[in-house]
Amino acid sequence: MLAPALQHIERSPKNRLVPSHERILAVLLLVEIAVFCVIGRHFVSADNAFELVRLSVEVGLLALAMTPVIVTGGIDLSVGSLISLSAVLFGKLFRDAGLPVGVAAALTLGVGAVAGLLNAALITGLRLPPLIVTLGSFSLFRGLAEGVTGGSDSFMCPTSFLFLGRGAQIPVFVAAAAGFWILLHRSVIGRGLYAIGLSPEGARHAGIPVARRVGLVYVLSGVVASLSALIYVSRYTQARADAGTGYELLAITAVVLGGTSIFGGRGRIPGTLLGLFTIAVLERGMKLADLGDQLAQILVGVLLLVALGANAILEKVSARRVA
Amino acid sequence: MIRRYLREISVAAATVALLLLLAVAKPQFFSGQNLRNILVTQSYVLVVAIGMTMVILARQIDISVGSHFAICGVVASLLARAGVPLPLMIAGTLASGAVLGGINGLLVAGFRLPSIVVTLATMVTLEQGIRWITGGEPVRNAPTFQWLSLGQSAGEWLVLATAAAVLVLFAWGLRRLQAGRAVYATGSDPEAARLAGIRPDRVIFGVFVVMGMLTALAAILNGIQSTQGDPTSGQGLGLQAIAAVVVGGTAISGGRGTLIGTFVGFVLLGVIGPALIFLQVEASWEKAIQGAIILVAVASDALNLRQRRNVGASLAAH
Amino acid sequence: MSLLSVSGIAKSFAGVQALRGVSFDLHPGEVHALVGENGAGKSTLIKVITGAHAPDSGSIEIDGHPVAHNSPLLSRSLGIAAIYQQPALFPDLTVSENIALGFESGGLWRLVDWRARRARAKELLGRIGARMDPETPVGMLTMPEQQMVEIAKSLGGRAKVLLMDEPTASLPEHEVENLFRVVRELRSQGVGTLYISHRLDELYALADRVTVLRDGQTVATRPMKEVERPELIRLMVGREISAIFPKREVTPGDVVLETRRLGCRDSGLAEISISIRAGEILGLAGLVGAGRTELARVLFGLTPATDGEILLAGTPVRLRTPSEAVDWGIAYVPEDRRRHGVILELSIAANTTLAILRRLSRGGLLDVAREREIALSYVEALAVKTPSIDVAAGTLSGGNQQKVALSRWLATEPKLLILDEPTQGIDVGAKSEIHRLMVDLAERGMAILMISSELPEALGMSDRIGVMRGGRLAGILSRAEATQERVMALALGHAEGAAA
Repeated sequence: MLAPALQHIERSPKNRLVPSHERILAVLLLVEIAVFCVIGRHFVSADNAFELVRLSVEVGLLALAMTPVIVTGGIDLSVGSLISLSAVLFGKLFRDAGLPVGVAAALTLGVGAVAGLLNAALITGLRLPPLIVTLGSFSLFRGLAEGVTGGSDSFMCPTSFLFLGRGAQIPVFVAAAAGFWILLHRSVIGRGLYAIGLSPEGARHAGIPVARRVGLVYVLSGVVASLSALIYVSRYTQARADAGTGYELLAITAVVLGGTSIFGGRGRIPGTLLGLFTIAVLERGMKLADLGDQLAQILVGVLLLVALGANAILEKVSARRVA
Repeated sequence: MIRRYLREISVAAATVALLLLLAVAKPQFFSGQNLRNILVTQSYVLVVAIGMTMVILARQIDISVGSHFAICGVVASLLARAGVPLPLMIAGTLASGAVLGGINGLLVAGFRLPSIVVTLATMVTLEQGIRWITGGEPVRNAPTFQWLSLGQSAGEWLVLATAAAVLVLFAWGLRRLQAGRAVYATGSDPEAARLAGIRPDRVIFGVFVVMGMLTALAAILNGIQSTQGDPTSGQGLGLQAIAAVVVGGTAISGGRGTLIGTFVGFVLLGVIGPALIFLQVEASWEKAIQGAIILVAVASDALNLRQRRNVGASLAAH
Repeated sequence: MSLLSVSGIAKSFAGVQALRGVSFDLHPGEVHALVGENGAGKSTLIKVITGAHAPDSGSIEIDGHPVAHNSPLLSRSLGIAAIYQQPALFPDLTVSENIALGFESGGLWRLVDWRARRARAKELLGRIGARMDPETPVGMLTMPEQQMVEIAKSLGGRAKVLLMDEPTASLPEHEVENLFRVVRELRSQGVGTLYISHRLDELYALADRVTVLRDGQTVATRPMKEVERPELIRLMVGREISAIFPKREVTPGDVVLETRRLGCRDSGLAEISISIRAGEILGLAGLVGAGRTELARVLFGLTPATDGEILLAGTPVRLRTPSEAVDWGIAYVPEDRRRHGVILELSIAANTTLAILRRLSRGGLLDVAREREIALSYVEALAVKTPSIDVAAGTLSGGNQQKVALSRWLATEPKLLILDEPTQGIDVGAKSEIHRLMVDLAERGMAILMISSELPEALGMSDRIGVMRGGRLAGILSRAEATQERVMALALGHAEGAAA
């Protein structure tokens, strides 16, 4: 039993600072939804909600996997290009190699893992900066996709696979979200990831297998990108080398908007989900309100800057607490 | 001396090897016409890469240059079409580049936001903004804009000379002007820079403004070669520039790197595409090869650094 | 007239009163020691003098002129140069450029004369007897070399006042003598030096006067010769320190760790053969750079051994990563507390359990309740001064941070505890708490390897003392035969001294 002198020591954690970014974002999201309910055509409908989520899954999966990557202080710019490479390889396996769809899909996920391993090997094995490595693989993966398709070839999605893009991707997304939430916020590995983000050397001295953990998040990122590619191919009904262009930046935007610090050590899955849907609602709402794609993206850019500003202030406040 | 510049030398060696391969296999590559053609159409990338070198030296990054490039290209075309005299057209375009760069600079240096995400945000905003405003339609160039009315031959020499002049000028400035040294100091250790009387925020702001102006210049150099100003241009320009800088030996952590290295990196990466065509290899593999080169260059950087650190470590043991 | 005079300086940070009223002055041509426990305010005072912090009240006079709005640039232009443990140099720039940036003036648009810079650098380095190529990037120099560059830089800036904060902390013995020579040389030129150090021997060798700080206040200023060591300590802590080292006799048990001709080529270690028994405290002495931390890192799996064997309880093992070492029951509390000992932004609870995460895993999920239990128990056992286990470790004082670092490793229930400078930079009170803890642990059967650069501590706490030199073991002395002279002789390689 604790000595009386220690009664004043807190028994439960105070969560004052952590979710305030998320609270603001949640309010913003509600305001957005309210606005579009008024000015958007058919915004308030089950159909719309369904479409909204369905279309967000591909970027959403990338954003989920990007969160632990950024939490460890890294970044993965290659995921959009990996979607294109995976899509194209899936097409080739199915169409040209004649493999059954299920096998082709499984092999595609394997490709994602290998791609993630390549990034991981360079980042942890050679201690290279993730920004540059994934910039290189960003180029390499899409380049390989372009080479394989000769710049113009495309593959039709097999009919038996179309179900994935018509709605079946939503439970996949929910499962992934739950999985990443558990990984980052409830698991032992997750605690290690935050430590690595705050201080890689400090984590190493504490006996945390840094290289293995960092490798894991990049491999996950690769596998998830390939999964996203399968969904993309199914929804788009085609696999081409330009698949997933710009998706990595959207994913990063969602993650940073959600409150994750680009420097590592801070960030949450609920935040990423809020960020993701803030962007998704904005884009869809603008479309339904006939306000144009570009305006939506401009607003997203502005939102991101505002979120950054808020983040920076939060960092300064918590930095002052550290002597 | 050699050890310090080992990185730049190895890239140069790789480039020379590639050029030798071409000289043996397809000497037609080295015809004056072909070389000039390649250099002229690509020199705007070099100009952007020069600016990007300074940004990375200062420990920052700018992925919004593509959008700046598109906007400045449209501005230049519009100014020329409106009949504005040449010096004003150039000044106006450079000024708009400076303003765009200044926005990045203000957010990064003034508000202390990380440059990767700031330039991501400004890129998205500006890219979509310019498309929105122009409706995605290109601006047809006034006849006086093409080659600045100098005709193709003289115009080409002008482009080459401008790019070369920028390279020489900035290489000199980084080495001999305290302003240039301040960029290195800021990138090496901003806190120590402050103590040495350098204002890191001013340096960073300045570097982004210069980046913007060089991008504007690049837009002019590119714009005068075509018949219209395209608001959707500049895609992938940022990546191209960063690739040239990184392959050329500049450290992404700042404080270390040279413009000669950037030039060599630019040549190596720029030659790949045309070389593939000449060697009759499928041209669609260009991007893959460039990506591989970036990874190889950076990986060899890491191995080189390891050797450097071991030198330091063994000194400490005695 | 004094070179520097501070009067009534007070400074607080977020409710903590760091300085309460500090007054003293520095004469030209004097070496003035500044001593005090950790948390007494020495580093804060330095920052106020250089202008990095603005005082809440009080005044500063430099050369008789009051300084109203101090700033690092202003203080430097007035002739104040600060030299910290960690040199503030540009790692990617050359030595000559670093030195030049220390005193060059003029605008951003001036031309740089590289030849003049090189010549100036050579001249200044020569003055302090440093031999290095001025064209080397500073990042490639060793720590002592970088410190020499810092000093050359201050000389170039025509410093009148030198503020040195623990300058010898990472210098090997011969470099310390070199540093003293430089300081004495500067003293004869009229430069005033404010010298902060925990190493009383150095102060008695070098200083003319000493000022004692305690709890942010000046307690006394005396000529160095007029105050004896016990009185100095008493002034620092306000009480008599009688039993400094609470060491008790322990009958050693079985051999926990044994190394046979252990070596690591990358770290310069060779032919290390030692053994440690349960309940034993093996001290490891030697000059900085002798390889003690390198040995600890090899034993903990941070750097893999290339030669020889490590045996744990008689079984040969390969320790390739820290997690393997932890599995084998080895724990390492590193020297660099703020970067490796704790993670400053993590809570005390998270820091405490960081090395035992796997044991707190229930099907992969973290047992948060058990984590809090463990953290609370260690806070209580080690008397960590904190309002809660959820505050960031960075808000704690050095001594308390060290206790959290210790908690982390004690939680792994190790058989061998390696402590690297466990009481460095810690106030006297916390020091003795940690010593008492070590003795308790030894009594309960833990084997302890204690690396210490403070000879009294090494002699007072160890059952045996190993002395390292140049990456090898120079000798092992029993508690009975160990004396400061013998240890130093082994560390320096004087065979006759060791036999005496």
